[in-house]
Amino acid sequence: MSPVNHDQRLEQAAEVYALGALDGQELAEFEAHLATGCAACAERLRETREALTVLPESLPPVAPPPALRARVLERIAAERPPTAAPVGLRPERRPNRVLWWAGWVGLAAAAALLVVVNAELRSTREEMRALQARVATLQTELGQREEALRFLSDPNVRYVSLGGLKPTPEASAWLLWNPATRQGLLLARGLPAAPAGQAYELWALAGARPVPAGVFSVDAGGRGLLRLPPLPAEHTYDAFAVTLEPAAGVPAPTGPMHLHGKV
Amino acid sequence: MGTAAPDASVRLLGEIARGDRDAFARFYDLHAALVHTFALRILRERDEAEEVVQDVFVQVWRQAETYSRDRGTPEAWLITLARSRGIDKLRSRRRRDEMVRPADNPDRLPEPAVLESAAGPAEARATLGGALADLPATQRRVLELAYFDGFTQSEIAAHLGEPLGTVKTRVRSALDRLRGALAARSGAERT
Repeated sequence: MSPVNHDQRLEQAAEVYALGALDGQELAEFEAHLATGCAACAERLRETREALTVLPESLPPVAPPPALRARVLERIAAERPPTAAPVGLRPERRPNRVLWWAGWVGLAAAAALLVVVNAELRSTREEMRALQARVATLQTELGQREEALRFLSDPNVRYVSLGGLKPTPEASAWLLWNPATRQGLLLARGLPAAPAGQAYELWALAGARPVPAGVFSVDAGGRGLLRLPPLPAEHTYDAFAVTLEPAAGVPAPTGPMHLHGKV
Repeated sequence: MGTAAPDASVRLLGEIARGDRDAFARFYDLHAALVHTFALRILRERDEAEEVVQDVFVQVWRQAETYSRDRGTPEAWLITLARSRGIDKLRSRRRRDEMVRPADNPDRLPEPAVLESAAGPAEARATLGGALADLPATQRRVLELAYFDGFTQSEIAAHLGEPLGTVKTRVRSALDRLRGALAARSGAERT
């Protein structure tokens, strides 16, 4: 393919991208290309976005309710100004010169002392932090084992098998689920590592309502372990599913579903 | 829909960036109807549309200083913000619906009912004028399915039961005609 054709193809992709219709391999290719900072494609994207504003602009206008205006202005009033650069208070008179010097000497001595003490504290704190981390790891491991044992020996516990869906057909998971206490432990296998900034999120499905049931990542072997947080008591959960979401977790699923299983 | 002179909006954005709340209120009054109408068309649900309006204008307040004229008109910026939030909400809603019926093919279009109502030809004729009026119905339909209903070209092909290549060609022709019509219109305005 000649370079000219290549550019044309990408600029055409820019238009379809602006429309929001690009997908699959073409989308990945175009986004990668755009990330290289191609000015021609960025310009084509801008032009097309500009042209497409004719779509919303030709809809018959529906005025927003006045209460919405009040809510928005209230929100803004509660926000800091975007360029919050408050002017500092200025002393009205120059302080007395001797006191000024004495003040500086005192401050310098105090600062030097602070540096020394801080360095000491920092190294002690780092050691403590390392020990705390080690203890926490051991506690977690122990806790997970106890959890698993307790679950296995509780007669209420059900075994829920989750199967891989289209993005990861080879993945699977099992969930030890106690409907009486609404506690559970999930072990997933065969999931690819989540992309940076993302993680897997488990959902407990109460009929039509997905309830967030914890976020987990997977190790190099594709295994992920999750102890479910206490789930709200007002629902009966009849199925579980795993989706790929932003790492912090989201209140309602947005990403592709990787695993699903019924209780 | 009446649009304000872009220059006035650009000036207001500059004042908003300096923390001017009155300028923000004027900017809201100029553009809230457009954002609201657009969000309502995408989501077809009042509360969610109002959430989008609120989110978009809060974002304007926070990011007015990042707006720059050479990246497009304020209207295009607002519309890009509104579309991105609106479509996110729409996809999230579809994902929720889909979860309830996961036994079906997860790739299928989740809400055929929404799709059917999304671009009824009568409604399209009634609501889209100007440059869009010249577009053949099939071309307008793919534009609307993508722009307002958040479907990609593969999803549109699956829904319409047509080959992907046909849909791609139709999208391309629609975009070409739209650009052509707009170029002709702005040319006519200038002379």
